Amino acid sequence: MITSPRFPIPQGTLDMLILQILSLEPAHGYGIAQRLEQISQSVVRVNQGSLYPALHRLEQKGWLKAEWKQSETGREAKFYSLTNSGRKQLALERDGWARLTGAVHLIFNEGNGS
Amino acid sequence: MKQLLNWLRRRNMESGLDRELRYHLDRRISDLQRSGLAEREARRQATLEIGGVTQIKEEVRDVWLTRWLRDFAYDLRFAARSFLRTPSFTATAVLSLALGIGATTAIYSLVDQVLLHALPVHEPERLVLIDWKGDPAGGGFGSYNLMSYPICRDLGEQKQVFDGVLCRALTTVNLSTGGEHRPTSAEIVSGTYFPALGVGAAVGRVLENEDDGTPNANPVVVLSYEFWKLQLGGALDVVGRKVLVNQHPMTVIGVAAAGFGGIDVGEVPALWIPASMAGQAIPGFDNLLDRRTRWMQVFGRLQAGMTLEKAQAGLQPWFKAMLAEDARRAGFPKITAERRQRFLNSSLELTAAPQGHSSLRRRLVEPLWMLFAVTAVLLGLACLNVAGLFLARGSARDREISTRLALGASRGRIGRQLLADSLLVALAGGMLGTAMAPIVVRTLVAFLPRNTAANALHSDLDLRLLLFAFAVSVAAGVLSGFAPAWQAGRRSLVSSLRERGGTAFGGVRLRKLIVTAQIALTLVLVIGAALFVRTLTALMAKGPGFATTSLVSFGLDPRRNGYSPAEANRLMRRVDEAIRQSAISQSSAVARWGLLTGGSWNNPMTIQATQRITTDHDIHLNAITPGFFPTLGIKIIAGRNFDQRDSRPAGEAGERSAIVNEAFVKRYLGGRNPLGVRICQGSGPDAKPNIEVIGVVSDFSYRGLREESEQAYFSFLENEGSGGTFYVRVRGTPEGALRSLGAIVHGADPALPMANFRTVEEQVNRSLNTEHLLATVSGSFGALALLLSLVGLYGVMSFVVTQRTREIGIRLALGAKRSATMWLVVRDALVMIVSGIGIGLPFVWALGRWVEAQLYDVKPMDPAAIIVAILVLGSAAVGAALVPAHRASAVNPTDALRIE
Repeated sequence: MITSPRFPIPQGTLDMLILQILSLEPAHGYGIAQRLEQISQSVVRVNQGSLYPALHRLEQKGWLKAEWKQSETGREAKFYSLTNSGRKQLALERDGWARLTGAVHLIFNEGNGS
Repeated sequence: MKQLLNWLRRRNMESGLDRELRYHLDRRISDLQRSGLAEREARRQATLEIGGVTQIKEEVRDVWLTRWLRDFAYDLRFAARSFLRTPSFTATAVLSLALGIGATTAIYSLVDQVLLHALPVHEPERLVLIDWKGDPAGGGFGSYNLMSYPICRDLGEQKQVFDGVLCRALTTVNLSTGGEHRPTSAEIVSGTYFPALGVGAAVGRVLENEDDGTPNANPVVVLSYEFWKLQLGGALDVVGRKVLVNQHPMTVIGVAAAGFGGIDVGEVPALWIPASMAGQAIPGFDNLLDRRTRWMQVFGRLQAGMTLEKAQAGLQPWFKAMLAEDARRAGFPKITAERRQRFLNSSLELTAAPQGHSSLRRRLVEPLWMLFAVTAVLLGLACLNVAGLFLARGSARDREISTRLALGASRGRIGRQLLADSLLVALAGGMLGTAMAPIVVRTLVAFLPRNTAANALHSDLDLRLLLFAFAVSVAAGVLSGFAPAWQAGRRSLVSSLRERGGTAFGGVRLRKLIVTAQIALTLVLVIGAALFVRTLTALMAKGPGFATTSLVSFGLDPRRNGYSPAEANRLMRRVDEAIRQSAISQSSAVARWGLLTGGSWNNPMTIQATQRITTDHDIHLNAITPGFFPTLGIKIIAGRNFDQRDSRPAGEAGERSAIVNEAFVKRYLGGRNPLGVRICQGSGPDAKPNIEVIGVVSDFSYRGLREESEQAYFSFLENEGSGGTFYVRVRGTPEGALRSLGAIVHGADPALPMANFRTVEEQVNRSLNTEHLLATVSGSFGALALLLSLVGLYGVMSFVVTQRTREIGIRLALGAKRSATMWLVVRDALVMIVSGIGIGLPFVWALGRWVEAQLYDVKPMDPAAIIVAILVLGSAAVGAALVPAHRASAVNPTDALRIE
């Protein structure tokens, strides 16, 4: 399972990734951790310890809402889902990210070009 | 707010977090086990991955709460530090709010005690006052909402509606617990009183139904806890002791529960006497079982789940039947057919009475709400003032704030900082104000109508009051911090960083708005003060209609000391004679009823002139000795004074002759010669007008200074035994007179207490205490309001001048006249003053109707009062603006331009 070296997740992007994952469907904390693991194909290392504070922070900001529901194993789990303002925030961050990576990309390309 | 909520339900959140993390671990372990790991190994790896559950929890808790609190604590520290750096600013702001909050808290203390506080009884919200609506076809005595004792008993039978019915009447008895006899406040109550209220005994037992059976058969009393503690030293063997009530021995059966002082907030009785003993408690009273004699207030406790409307509707069928039955009873008064119909159409009216019954409350309900409104306005002014101060300070701190914004502080964060500032100031002001409040309450209570009010009302800070003060402080903080915080939120970062010298534009318009609002509020207060002061001065100028100099009065009631009517009358005459003989008196007289006490003996009358008429309302009556008019200095306009001819022959009942006042002649006798006209009390067909009018006196005040009433006077007859009030015009000081008069009364009967010795001047002032209270408080608050808004105006104008120094310099350099620059500033101020007045006037108009009943000889929209108020406010405001305006005109153009 552990193959290539894993990068620590860039600061500030965890929130955005959580929002993105939850924009697909509501999930509980463990589900989000697994989803992060799968989607990033184990390239990015998410410190599970920082996942829960991030979830609560996003809930506090009103971007997520949470409710206790029965999970796939039959036990009650706390499911998070995106609120409207969370959805807006995700769009904002996605946009910002695209501009940033675009700019970084440009800079690298320009460096290659000259 | 969310953070505060979190803090409140943190226990719930903790267990939620616990479950959430446990779920994560368990899932991970089972997943790892499924991929082939042994349970122990799986658990180890899962724990390792998640990395310290306690640490995660700490971090999550941090998210919930601590960061916000830490930030807020930091805000407060920062605010405190910056306040300490500007002590004069801080002192001004804290003092303004302390004044406002202190005054509001003090008035609220009275409002709460007199108007709002429910009785300390079992479920007071189920208590209702039962009142007669319509014509009760009978007479009575007492204050108001009166019913007879038998009807109270009948109401007690209506069990489908009431869980208990009680009745009570206040009186004064001469009480002796072993030593001297003292006039003492007592409550005559039905046996159902304590059970229905749900009040128990601290010692022994309270009155029960069995104590209120056969009239005169149950000589027992219950003492109040306060009386027992203060007068009897809390003696535990008090039960079984004999006390003398109006010389009748009665046995103490118990002491009522601590904190219970009857159901009247202004009159705290020292003892409770069963209604069956009313004949002893009120000398000469033998109408306890008469259905038409009204003298008690009746209260009911509604059955659980019963509403006021249902109860009222449920009672009417029984009540109608009772009316019909009463009208057929032997001894039902002879009344006209029309009145009989009114009697039969009467109904019962229930009103919620969780606060009991109080004439003090009735008298103060309007004045107190008015004062509360006045203080609320004053508090609003103080908040506006502090908001203005903060805005000014905000302008000075502009660069600091802009820099913080530029460094990435959020606007919400800055706003919160400013709010923390004002909250801190408001809480400091609130503490200072609350500390001052008891002093203010004591001052206000000193104004209040009765001696008893001082006993019944306290100036302590209780929890309710502290909560109120805290809520007001927070509200004041938010209110005064709102404007600056809002201003900070709107600030344009770029423009304010570009400004030089930190004189941002920010806030000037807002500050002008604030000053305009202040002027509007001040106008309302100043006009209100002018109206109340004019009312007071008009009443003082009018006076009671007789000379009060060197006039003293005191009451004697020998019937309460066991005298028979004839003995009582002889004693009164003996004392009157002795006073007239003594060196200290110029003249002396007795009236059965005291003047200017708010009460009177009154009845409708029948007049037989050329035709028979009945008066359309009650005539105020009194019985006097012949010395009365000369002693008071009241002119006899026509006819003669009472003399020997007016005492009636032995064996004949009733009055022979009467003297009426001018108002009586004017209203009921037109231009006719009043002498020889025959009148009598009562308005029924059986009334026989057989009392001859022998004289007319000029008008003077009887119940109070405000009213112009029709009055009639009878002679204080030989066998008509009762107590009365002595009026003595003395030589020398009232103190000296008290000693001599006391000696005379003591000589006549050492056991007879002298009641209410005071000068008539003092009595006049007492009768005006509500007016004094309103005039003093509204006057001083009006002055404070004026001061606050002048400070606000001055502050803004100074700021404007500083800000426009450069512009003014340029104008001057270009040849503008100095007077023109002055006008520039004054015009600015005038706009605020005029629009403030314009905004204020409609409020004056709207509030005028509300205060009208409290005014005398002045209309709420009195032009003189309004013009004076506008002149005072306007000229003071222009004066405050002239100082900065003068500074503007003195600007040196060269200096002004060099500031750049």
